[in-house]
Amino acid sequence: MGTHVLHPLQQPALKRSSILFAGRKKVFTNLGLLIVLVPVALLVITPYLWMVTGSLKERGHFSEPPYLFPSTFDFSNYQKAWEGAPFARYFLNTAGVAAAVVLSRIVLGGMAAYAFAILKFRGRDLLFFLYLSTMMIPFYAILIPLFLLIRDLNWINSYQALIVPRMVDAFGILLLRQAFIGVPRDYLDAARVDGASHWHTLWRIVMPMCKPTALTVAIFSFLFVWNDFLWPFLVANDTDMRLIQTGLQAFSGRYLTEWTYWMAGTIMATIPPILFFLLAQKQFISGLARSGIKG
Amino acid sequence: MIRGSVLRWVRGDGGAALLFLLPSLVLLVAFCFYPMVSALRLSLYKWDNLAVDPVFTGLGNYIRLFTNDRFWNSLRITFLYTFGVTAISIIMGLVIAWVLNQKGLIFPTFWRGLYFLPTVSPTVAAAMVWILLFNPSFGFVNTLLREVGIQGPNWLSSSQWALPTLMTLGIWRRFGFTVIVYLAALQAIPQDYYENSWVDGASAWQSFLRISVPLVAPATVMLVTLGLIDSFLVFDQVLVMTGGGPAGSTEVIGILLYRDAFMNFRMGTGSAMAVVTLLVVAAFTLFQWRVVGFGSSEGE
Repeated sequence: MGTHVLHPLQQPALKRSSILFAGRKKVFTNLGLLIVLVPVALLVITPYLWMVTGSLKERGHFSEPPYLFPSTFDFSNYQKAWEGAPFARYFLNTAGVAAAVVLSRIVLGGMAAYAFAILKFRGRDLLFFLYLSTMMIPFYAILIPLFLLIRDLNWINSYQALIVPRMVDAFGILLLRQAFIGVPRDYLDAARVDGASHWHTLWRIVMPMCKPTALTVAIFSFLFVWNDFLWPFLVANDTDMRLIQTGLQAFSGRYLTEWTYWMAGTIMATIPPILFFLLAQKQFISGLARSGIKG
Repeated sequence: MIRGSVLRWVRGDGGAALLFLLPSLVLLVAFCFYPMVSALRLSLYKWDNLAVDPVFTGLGNYIRLFTNDRFWNSLRITFLYTFGVTAISIIMGLVIAWVLNQKGLIFPTFWRGLYFLPTVSPTVAAAMVWILLFNPSFGFVNTLLREVGIQGPNWLSSSQWALPTLMTLGIWRRFGFTVIVYLAALQAIPQDYYENSWVDGASAWQSFLRISVPLVAPATVMLVTLGLIDSFLVFDQVLVMTGGGPAGSTEVIGILLYRDAFMNFRMGTGSAMAVVTLLVVAAFTLFQWRVVGFGSSEGE
């Protein structure tokens, strides 16, 4: 029931109902709508403006003036923040961990999705249900034993701790499986007649036909790593091992009242995911609409 | 006979399936199913010091938990936060989505993208901005209130206002998601429905209440469930903005669990708390299944 309602978002074109203001001038329509949209938009962008303006004020003068638009343009905060904590290291760590997680979720997730969508074997549905059930386990529920496991493996403050428990994600497998099911049977039969192995069929035929879904999985995984906090905070909180969010948290504690540096730091952390979102907005939104079936 | 059926299984797609599933299955077992079982087991042990061995205590941890005022306070705060953020972001999301769905609106994709920005913004960064926005003396919120002659409260240091302040961040980060889901649901409503009600003389408001709201009900149920689950597990921004204070007024379950297990090393009660979150989340999920039917997760 829930699914078909959510589907049309996959078609990016916006169809709008015409009842409201029908027969009136377009200008009035828009005036009426903008009365709702603009104030909410202001609420959305105020924190960003505050961030930008704060990062451009002179050090020690954060409170003057307490308004949203910049009157000074002191870019040295960025340099000071960059030097005040190993941000370069945080960025590299985050990018590296994100790349590893994205890659494994595509490769291992793709293999699992292929098995669930295309291969026929006994126990398939039961196993798939088992995979799906992991989506309902809240992270807190497994946090303590997972931490103890990582400790017993001697993985505290290692990249393994940040990457290995994150390598498989059932939601990505679900998305890929749904896409793989849509691949026409003829292509698979043709591959089989040519004697292609399943491995070859997956990476040369099925996955290339499902690139948009693969891209969606990649975007979600990247943003997940970029915005992750609790897990890296617990298992990898040495200076050299921090990711961007844990690094920023440590930085805010170290420069407790250097608010101009704070804001420069938050901008550096916020720009990459926002750029990423803007570049892949279409993929992202259609993926989110499909995430409606998550649950 | 068993050997024969194994052979048949391997000769079909079974062998390939085994190879394709093995890596993900091993990882899921090691880093999800095993910890899950382990948490259930640990919750039955008293283990207050990592240096000594755990001692079996039956339901002792649960009794300790449920007779502890701090735990009940934490549950109450978590529920308040969860229902507040979920309800307000859903109402805002539906209204905005409905406006975005009107014909003739300029730049529809621009608005949709704009509202979504907070959802992809890192939580720690947003929390740091919030600390300064709500600073009692020079924060923008109190500056604005001063302009209209109101002396704003000391937001994050007030046990009355700290939780609502946290909720504003939760709503800010969440409502863009509800906009996108509702927009999808609204676009699926056939145009005729609106045109018919228009012919019948219904006002825009009436058609919103009588057509839009009931027809997006499945999306609402989904958003309620996901919202309850996500908000119930809030941690990052609370740790950065208040650390659970002042006077425990923002000590959500995540913060209490973190304190118990990772600062006081009480792994047993921490695990019992983890099991309670699992049960609450399971209850939210069951609620969704009851309302929209189990098929929704495999509807395609």
